[in-house]
Amino acid sequence: MSRSAPLAVLLVAIFANWGRSEEPGGAIDFQRDIQPILAARCWSCHGAADAEGGLRLTDRDQATAGAESGAAAIVPGDPDHSELLRRVLATEDGERMPPEGPALPITEVEQLRRWIAEGAVWPAHWAYRRLSQPPTPDTGDDWSRNPIDRFVIAKLTERGLAPSPPADRATLLRRLHFDLLGLPPTAGQIEAFVNDPSPLAYERLVDELLANPSHGERYARHWMDLAHFAETHGHDQDRPRDHAWPYRDYLIAAFNEDKPYGQFVREQVAGDALFPESPQAVVATGFLAAGPWDESSLRDIREDTLDREVARYLDRDDIVTTVMSTFVSSTVHCARCHDHKFDPISQAEYYGLQAVFAAIDKGNRSYDVDPRVGRRRDELAAALAELPSRLASQDPSLDDPELAARVAVWEAEWAATDSLWQPLRLEDLVSTGGSTLTSLDDGSVLSGGMRPEQDLYTVMAPIAAGEIRGLRLELLTDDSLPQRGPGRQDNGNLHLNELRLFVISAEGGEEREIKFARAVADFDQSGWSVDRAIDGQDATAWGIHPQVGQPHEAVFELAEPLVVADPTRLRIELHQTHGGGHLIGRFRLSTTSRTPRLSDRSLEPELARILGVAGEARTPQERRHLAVAYLTRNYQAQAAELPPRSIVYCGSNRFVADGSFRPTPQPRVVRLLHRGDIKQPREEVQPLTLSCLEDLPAALAVADPADEGARRVALANWLADHRNPLTWRSIANRIWQYHFGRGLVDTPSDFGRMGTAPTHPELLDWLATRLRDRGESLKDLHRLIVTSATYRQSSSNPESDGQESDGPKSAAVIDGDNHYLWRMNRRRLDAESFRDAVFAVAGTLDSSMGGPSVKQFVQTPGMHVTPNVDYHSADVDGPAMRRRSVYRFLFRTIPDPFMDALDCPDASQWTPTRGESVTPMQALATLNDKAIVRQCEQLAARIERDRPTDPDGHEHAHAAVREILGREASGAEITSLAGYLLSHGLANACRVLFNSNEFMFVD
Amino acid sequence: MNVEREPSIGSATVSRRELLWQAGGGLGGLALAQLLAEESRAQDTAAVGQPNAGQPELGLGDKGLGDGLHHPPKVRRVLQLFMNGGVSQMDTFDHKPELDCRHGEAIDFGITAAVTSEVGKIMKSPFPFRQHGESGRWVSDVFPHLAGCVDDLAFLMAMASKTNVHGPASYLQNTGFVSPGFPCMGAWISYGLGRIADDLPTFVVLPDHRGLPYNNGGNFSPGFLPAAHQGVIIKPNAPEPIGNLTPPASERITAASEADGLRLLAEFNRRHLEGRADDSRLGARIASFELAAKMQASAPEVLDLSRETQATRCEYGLDDETTGPFARNCLTARRMLERGVRFVQVWSGMGGPAKNWDNHSDIQTELPFIARSVDKPIAALLRDLKQRGLLEDTLVVWTTEFGRMPFTQGATGRDHNGGTFVTWLAGAGVKAGTTHGASDEFSYQAVEGVTQVHDLHATILHLLGIDHERLTFRHNGIDRRLTDVHGHVIREILG
Repeated sequence: MSRSAPLAVLLVAIFANWGRSEEPGGAIDFQRDIQPILAARCWSCHGAADAEGGLRLTDRDQATAGAESGAAAIVPGDPDHSELLRRVLATEDGERMPPEGPALPITEVEQLRRWIAEGAVWPAHWAYRRLSQPPTPDTGDDWSRNPIDRFVIAKLTERGLAPSPPADRATLLRRLHFDLLGLPPTAGQIEAFVNDPSPLAYERLVDELLANPSHGERYARHWMDLAHFAETHGHDQDRPRDHAWPYRDYLIAAFNEDKPYGQFVREQVAGDALFPESPQAVVATGFLAAGPWDESSLRDIREDTLDREVARYLDRDDIVTTVMSTFVSSTVHCARCHDHKFDPISQAEYYGLQAVFAAIDKGNRSYDVDPRVGRRRDELAAALAELPSRLASQDPSLDDPELAARVAVWEAEWAATDSLWQPLRLEDLVSTGGSTLTSLDDGSVLSGGMRPEQDLYTVMAPIAAGEIRGLRLELLTDDSLPQRGPGRQDNGNLHLNELRLFVISAEGGEEREIKFARAVADFDQSGWSVDRAIDGQDATAWGIHPQVGQPHEAVFELAEPLVVADPTRLRIELHQTHGGGHLIGRFRLSTTSRTPRLSDRSLEPELARILGVAGEARTPQERRHLAVAYLTRNYQAQAAELPPRSIVYCGSNRFVADGSFRPTPQPRVVRLLHRGDIKQPREEVQPLTLSCLEDLPAALAVADPADEGARRVALANWLADHRNPLTWRSIANRIWQYHFGRGLVDTPSDFGRMGTAPTHPELLDWLATRLRDRGESLKDLHRLIVTSATYRQSSSNPESDGQESDGPKSAAVIDGDNHYLWRMNRRRLDAESFRDAVFAVAGTLDSSMGGPSVKQFVQTPGMHVTPNVDYHSADVDGPAMRRRSVYRFLFRTIPDPFMDALDCPDASQWTPTRGESVTPMQALATLNDKAIVRQCEQLAARIERDRPTDPDGHEHAHAAVREILGREASGAEITSLAGYLLSHGLANACRVLFNSNEFMFVD
Repeated sequence: MNVEREPSIGSATVSRRELLWQAGGGLGGLALAQLLAEESRAQDTAAVGQPNAGQPELGLGDKGLGDGLHHPPKVRRVLQLFMNGGVSQMDTFDHKPELDCRHGEAIDFGITAAVTSEVGKIMKSPFPFRQHGESGRWVSDVFPHLAGCVDDLAFLMAMASKTNVHGPASYLQNTGFVSPGFPCMGAWISYGLGRIADDLPTFVVLPDHRGLPYNNGGNFSPGFLPAAHQGVIIKPNAPEPIGNLTPPASERITAASEADGLRLLAEFNRRHLEGRADDSRLGARIASFELAAKMQASAPEVLDLSRETQATRCEYGLDDETTGPFARNCLTARRMLERGVRFVQVWSGMGGPAKNWDNHSDIQTELPFIARSVDKPIAALLRDLKQRGLLEDTLVVWTTEFGRMPFTQGATGRDHNGGTFVTWLAGAGVKAGTTHGASDEFSYQAVEGVTQVHDLHATILHLLGIDHERLTFRHNGIDRRLTDVHGHVIREILG
């Protein structure tokens, strides 16, 4: 072969491409001929973002209106009076356009002149145009099998091209298997299909494969690339997400059950709000949380920093980009710092989309797998929520005697065990270290002001005559505290070194220290248990890390009951000498005359007071209060007995707070940031979407701005609307791309002006309307595409081995990149398909579906949040290794180096198109990866087991080629392969075949 | 011509590879161009079979720097030393007598809190500072060896970061963006210039022996650039320094099985090529196995430090417990640069709260611990590169993700401060012994000659013969650059 041939072919193809639009005579096409000139040479100063001299060259109205100079850039039909033409031809500085860089080539000037002369036809951008089904070309050919082919052959004929012959059956079978399932056919399947006499064998095969559950696994993986789904946070604190996987299973099920596409879209954006009864619709919102999340910035640093606010904007940017690039192939994220430079998307629209997600964070949300359980839980929650208003309205049903009887039983049970803590009224608050101590209405004390290293709080409290057996210290959270407290240390912790209690005698005023017998707390930091606060040693203390951001309590039992005959006062000292600002942020003290026990958390002070009042002395409203307390506990107990809820990591404002990362009850205020700069916030924005579509308004109708779900529902409905041409064109193009390796639009997530135009705009619209108008069925579209004659073509080029000829132009010269589909594209296996295929051929693939992701690495605790992940030490024979790749646990910042080498994305960014790189590191990976080498041994063992004697190695060689390459070997191949395997073993021979181009590529 | 196919690397003369990138939308062209990205401008153009018309050769045997991508370069290869965690500038290179005067005072900086803590009192550096060399640079006693090199260094005394959080800040310093998924500088350089040697990777990362930095591999990701430009992680201190360089141990896998296997593979691949020869990816993949074999042969030699003299081992501190692991990385880096690796990134410090430069708790004990581990090896590396003449076309960059606060965190720690920090450069194209920029009297904010990482990146690319505004790659609708929409070449420090 001539080594220079491929390059020469390419060069010729490029020049042929360049030459095309310069051919005289052909009509000027704005999209093809004019827009690229404007984009490259004009738009940086006269584009959507800038209008120097008052001129914008982004649509016909603006270009034909007078600019600041008074002259119109374009006068349709009159090039000689068009300022644009005069300026690009000018030679003097200050006149010539563009002012920098070389002058426009004369060919481009001529194109502009002709275009203006022909009336400056300036159609709306193709992607935004209304979508309607174009007529199928009447080609009258006998090659076409369905309408797709007629669109394709019309273009081919127009360009002097002809389709290739169909591929043979074995090739088609392998192509279809990898395409629809991501797996190779078995030797048995090949034999059966090749010998199937039925004329409808292919169509039947297509139906079988589309019904095969592996199909959902294959397409879920495509979708995961778009959503940039992975299972760790992906920043410096790359914490695993143990509950992300249900979203992956949602995708597999959705593709397998052929969920109508519009519903699929709506569920992923707002399923929880649209279909609250459907557990799967809640899981679908895992889409919004598929991307990275900056734990340090959003949870750990101080809430009052700009870094925190920046992180919120960036996190919403991730969500907006995911939604808009996936569903409508829009690069709206380009409008974060300024209006979009090329597309009609304003900064206001971009921030309007951020406002749609203003209440959304990424977090773990609970849901009920069984909708009936969910309904019961909702009923109980509703009943609970109703109780305060029933109490306030003095609901007579709370006076029901039967209820009163149940309340009495509960009270008796409760009184037998509860300590009846009575809060102390704290006064004379003193901080020796210099903290500011403030009494709050609920009897608690808040510490603020400057934070000393160490402190001693001293407080006084009046007590009545009676007996005291225990003292309770509650540590409470507060928004003013770091991590919401309860401590004042930056991490929310505190250390109580000693607690001392003194009683002041009523008569003489002298002080006596009261000793404690024991202490117990609801939570002890490891090595910092609460008994250390009463051990008399200043060096030891009680702590509560890492359970910060939540209240805690400790109860201290007096060594001897304290009995006072007359009212007097207690003095309490809280010694906090650990240093480093480990101080109590907010606390409350209570006493009891009963045996001190950790309290019932739900017992608010008012209830405690009522319980202390004798039954007959209670007012009716106090009795109702008790009834409500009883019902609260009763409903809660019923809810607790329901089957446990499942959890999904998703986009939501219903997740459990974690330190200072907590759900926002109301949508957060989103402001337009001038130049994208957090320090230049401008007006607050309301939910808004794109304004560039003819039939759909940009405004999102949201009746109640506080209803965050309604914001997402409005956007979801806009996306899935049949009048939204972007949505249907986008998905039709992606489906085409998955089958042919390239979309009709080569930039599948960019349908803007800087993306490529469709090679077959009519076909794209035909496919989009077919999908939209026929039940939104993706499987219908798959079936139509893969049964087309276009899809069934051979991938080979009949002239590929010849030199360039001087004869008529070959297909490779006219269309070397095969944009017009005169043959099928050959494709390199993606990482998952290669790996799964090796396991499948070796007979070791575990085909079970769903469930938590499998870790194909050894995970050990890391030094901080991010665990240590070791792929090399994973057990190559373990069950985790044998699952399909779609079930791999996806670790964002430590991706599997083997998959990495084969272009599997690390999910930091959106990947509409996989790379197909070829590198030495990739060769080393496929040759030497432990798991792959192990599968070679497994396959060899199986072949040798089936054929125990094979002295010349021929039988083993035949079997290996049949299993791995799915075909019969030639005589020459057998000679080489048998010779090799006799010297180096069958496993090594299998390794060679798995590394062959024939295995790695699909014809 | 279609807008989508504009040259991604603007250049007055459209190079062979750019032409391929232009055609890169096609399946065939792309694969070839990707392999070329590892190859272009190297001496071995045979694998792609095109006469090297008009292209400067930048092979190993060629000491010339060539014409560069956009202008004549000063630098052929880059070594980056990244101090992970945020080096305290006022305890190392940014001498501030005012801190001594105001030690213990509460100063109103107009903020209520640093990023993880409250504002403490002014804290002077616990380490004495002295002036060194002809240039009279102030260096604290934590760097006794580096202090002897100051006349070879050019200091950026007013680097600033727009974030105070490790994750985003590490991404920013490495990729120019605060979010994940963007290509790092090494990947951009690989994309722009390709490889020098064909038996070693273009871009190598040597992490701290204790573990990966904040963001793990995210810091050396190729982002959306083709996978060919990813950093190859090499761990000289680990039992298996390069993943998958060799097959797993097995009695059937021998030198002969591998050599014969590659021959058999080539035979199958050649036969498969019949009728498919127009698909350049197939040929490229055949070549990739040949390159892989070359790498297998060369890599062990590069990593074999037993070939170094005892004097060199001593100089680097290779056999010392404190300096040994980092010294091994430095020495390996030198051997890689010598043998034609284009970009080497050496890390000090792992992610997490300790064993790095993130000295929140106690500057007095935490900083000397980590500083000692790099001081002697870096000084030795600089001298070694100079002595071997490598510094004439090699650029060395020492940097970190942000600085630290002039006031205390807790009793004696310091919190993050993106306001100002120090970076230094040495080697080709750099004006040795110079400084640029200054922070305020407390080393709280950069105030004079302020530089951002985009300026540093623009400068590094400039020295490599690349105009940072013209090295672009279209991703998700935007022509992305290493320098985003920022960056000015810092001419004040150029020789």
